[in-house]
Amino acid sequence: MANEITLTIDGKQVTVPAGTLIVDAARELGIDIPVFCYHPKMEPVGMCRMCLVEVGRPMVDRATNQPVMEADGTPKLQFGPKMETACTTPVSAGMVVIGMSDKVKAARNDVLEFLLTSHPLDCPICDKGGECPLQNLTMGFGKGSSRFEFEDKQHNQKHVPLGELIYLDRERCIQCGRCVRFQKDLADDPVIGFYQRGRNLVIDTSSEPGFDSIFSGNTTDICPVGALTTADFRFGARPWELKSAASLCNHCAVGCNLTYNTRREAKSDGNVVIKRAMPRQNEAVNEIWLCDKGRFGYHFAESHQRLEKPLIRKDGELVESTWDEALDMAAKELRAYGFRFVSLASGRLSNEDLYEIKQLTENLHGQACLYSPMAGGDLTPLIGYADPQGLSRVGKGTVIVVAASNLHQEAPIWWMQVRAAVKRGAKLIVVNARSTRLDKFASAVVRYRFGREAEAVLSLVPAAETSGESGKIIAAAENLVVLYGSDGIGLEGSRQVAAASAELLRASNLLGKPGSGLLPVWQRANDQGAWDTGFTPVDDLAKVVSEADGVLIAGADPAGDHPAYAAALKKAKFIIVQEQFLTKTAQLADIVFPVQSMLERDGSYTNGTRRVQRFMPVVEKLPGTRPDYLVTAQVRQKVVHSNLEFISAAQVFMVLAAHLPDYQNLTYATLMETVPQHPILGRSDVYYGGTSFENRQGLGVQLGTAANRRDKYSLPAAPSTQNQLPDLEHAEELMAVPVAELLDTGTITQKSVLLGKRTSTPFALMHPKTAQQKGLAAGDKAKISLAGVTYQAVVRVDESVPTLHVLLPRSLGIPLDKPVLVKVIQ
Amino acid sequence: MNQTATKYAREIEDLFAKYPADRKQSAVMPLLHLIQRDFGFINKQAVRDVAEIVGITPTEVASVVGFYTLYHDTPQGKYRFQICNDLPCALRGADQFLAELCKSLGIQPGETTPDGMITVEAVMCLAACDKAPMFQVQGPQGITYHENQTVEGALQLTKELAGKEVKA
Ligand code: SF4
Ligand code: SF4
Ligand code: FES
Ligand code: FES
Repeated sequence: MANEITLTIDGKQVTVPAGTLIVDAARELGIDIPVFCYHPKMEPVGMCRMCLVEVGRPMVDRATNQPVMEADGTPKLQFGPKMETACTTPVSAGMVVIGMSDKVKAARNDVLEFLLTSHPLDCPICDKGGECPLQNLTMGFGKGSSRFEFEDKQHNQKHVPLGELIYLDRERCIQCGRCVRFQKDLADDPVIGFYQRGRNLVIDTSSEPGFDSIFSGNTTDICPVGALTTADFRFGARPWELKSAASLCNHCAVGCNLTYNTRREAKSDGNVVIKRAMPRQNEAVNEIWLCDKGRFGYHFAESHQRLEKPLIRKDGELVESTWDEALDMAAKELRAYGFRFVSLASGRLSNEDLYEIKQLTENLHGQACLYSPMAGGDLTPLIGYADPQGLSRVGKGTVIVVAASNLHQEAPIWWMQVRAAVKRGAKLIVVNARSTRLDKFASAVVRYRFGREAEAVLSLVPAAETSGESGKIIAAAENLVVLYGSDGIGLEGSRQVAAASAELLRASNLLGKPGSGLLPVWQRANDQGAWDTGFTPVDDLAKVVSEADGVLIAGADPAGDHPAYAAALKKAKFIIVQEQFLTKTAQLADIVFPVQSMLERDGSYTNGTRRVQRFMPVVEKLPGTRPDYLVTAQVRQKVVHSNLEFISAAQVFMVLAAHLPDYQNLTYATLMETVPQHPILGRSDVYYGGTSFENRQGLGVQLGTAANRRDKYSLPAAPSTQNQLPDLEHAEELMAVPVAELLDTGTITQKSVLLGKRTSTPFALMHPKTAQQKGLAAGDKAKISLAGVTYQAVVRVDESVPTLHVLLPRSLGIPLDKPVLVKVIQ
Repeated sequence: MNQTATKYAREIEDLFAKYPADRKQSAVMPLLHLIQRDFGFINKQAVRDVAEIVGITPTEVASVVGFYTLYHDTPQGKYRFQICNDLPCALRGADQFLAELCKSLGIQPGETTPDGMITVEAVMCLAACDKAPMFQVQGPQGITYHENQTVEGALQLTKELAGKEVKA
């Protein structure tokens, strides 16, 4: 093929696409050309010279333009007088690369000697020791001893907290610039940089707070030395003492693959504890990245406030009980009240848990409610974005629409991937009521006033008179991906946006192509799984709950989130709660079953793109607790005499797969299959891509869609373009709308001490004019009265926010699940 | 408020006019130059101000300040005598010149005279290797070159500069 090139590296032939760099071509042959500054996910810069190799190219006779031949008929090669950097040199036809000659080895030796002029080589006390590119390459190619005077070494600070999460050891930095380039080119947070030059050069931050980026942890993976370490792992353990367990991040709909490293240690009473969370490569999901919430937000399981015994209500008080007593009581009450049964579960639970709860709900002819303010999970099986490659390969020809979403905070890794897709040539259209961090990468930005989201999305339909520039972009699309989130909307708004997005996709005539489809930015890791197992959100949750005779709540704390739900729950006759902590909801329960966190058990999640992925047990289970699916199954066994008392997650999944057509043929074994991924990372040559783990525990399975299978399906009618919210012009009050904040105080993050330091404070974001009208300015404390209760929030202003609105963060103490009118005063 | 933006409102307008509207960050060096000229150094607040004005992060502005040797991040004497003692100049006695000048002023290289007027620093090649001993003076009026120097001549210059201050 014309765009494939064949060359020889160290005597072996390889054929790669034109444009491939020598270093990457060598990887395909299993030849490791050492690098420091090069990283396969970033543009090459050729700064460190570690990758020097000898390069020969076929000689061409200038007069005849014919290749010159040796006497034996082979092409005569011309080697340059100098070696070339394998990380910046693209391959060419007939090229011969020598990567292991004495000359090359001498060059590596020299480069290492330079790098080590001031590097302390304090590997025995360095967190990177054992998985350090510099250590490995020094062992491989370095000098045994240094020719430099110790006194002449540059001694830099060894303990520089760049922020709350990342520490820098300046002496160990080899100035490769990977961290700086990651923050600028991939994270779009250029908050760390070089300072000074030459031997004095150091990494520094001037942001406030320091190293202010939600992607900061990734720099510690790709730093090729022990200069950048996390506050989490610093001096925590040696890498070789650690065991690995494959898991998933459960904080958002991306479903990042990660590996927990654990160790049994004396200071934790001989228990297995997690020492760190590391990305596990899945090019279709998170590539090799994690956001800081995913990396540092796992400490919830260690919290000492966990429930360890079932609780039952006796004489009005919750008292400790036994599993048998609590299960019997649950069954007895459910048999009595079963005629109006409601289960309420969230996407924090695994597919297995949700399936069991759904079964129980069906047995009791009840209603299975999803605790979520987002709609559209019924559309994804039909027209979901189901590209097996995921967003990481999207580029030219694809148009991405991001509607009603502050993607940076709602799904950080997708945000990063959308941004990268634009760099590769994809076109982005942002449809949002206010500016977000995607706007500057967008080809078109459509603004609307809250309440008119559906209208704004429909205005993109190419035929629509209003579509204009963005309509043209969409008309020219080869693929169309529509992401929608929950920026400033509740369930009703979400239903409108989902339907409008579906209509936009339908009108594009691109449905059925694997690279096109709908991608809801769910708030929880397994919301999609909850839809797939039969849960749906309800409009008036308070009403539904208060009218129920029996309620089962799992993976949700409605009473803690909203006083209206607490009031409603007080009216319910009988409440069972499955929880890890004694939440406000648990405090209202008649029975509380102590359950395990995802870290103590196995299960599966279905992420936003409907990729079903598995997680394994990481730590030992807390004595006295059981996994959610087992608790529900045991209750069910007593209520309807089903014969499944001792079941495993795998067994539940088998039953689930047999009953849900889309999950047909899936087993835990198929979820654990892997295929080779590119770039090849995470092997012993940690210098190539950093300390992200190779994925040997499964890439998960991407579910198909009706559109891609060319099945028959029907979509909801296009929504009306009516304003969904009341006219504000003459109101005293402001319209408060809920928005996402990544580092919120949800049940899980607030238990993570480390992230606690980075947690946002409640804010009220307004147009400066609106703030002024209320006598407020940025930084002031505003009082917000909502349903008779007053909350405090710090005023922030932004010109792009529609006037007469106030944006309030979800899960930061102010109960807001949909747009409502509030009073805002000084 | 952004004091830098207020103080240099006119200059900023002129600077921005020189670059395309979406390339405001091109103005970062000339802006820093103004601050360096007027204050003798660029403090953290000024870095934040400039970042805000040109629309990049303070970290990126700080990187520029750090990279270029003629921007300073700490206050020093009003006039910086930057004496080249790189190899060619050293061969023409620059080291001795530096030592003697410092001795006469009663300071060490890198230090400032007690009246806060003169700082003496050793620097790398200034591209006048054949005219050593040589130095440049960085001060509020900009940068001046002084070639083929003697210690006496340099001392005279320090006095003149100090005298000018007294008169002003
Ligand atoms: S801190 Fe690490 S990644 Fe950053 S420049 Fe130094 S060695 Fe490279
Ligand atoms: S992007 Fe989402 S899934 Fe990935 S680490 Fe962050 S919170 Fe977890
Ligand atoms: S120059 Fe090639 S890896 Fe640094
Ligand atoms: S070495 Fe001093 S000016 Fe060149």
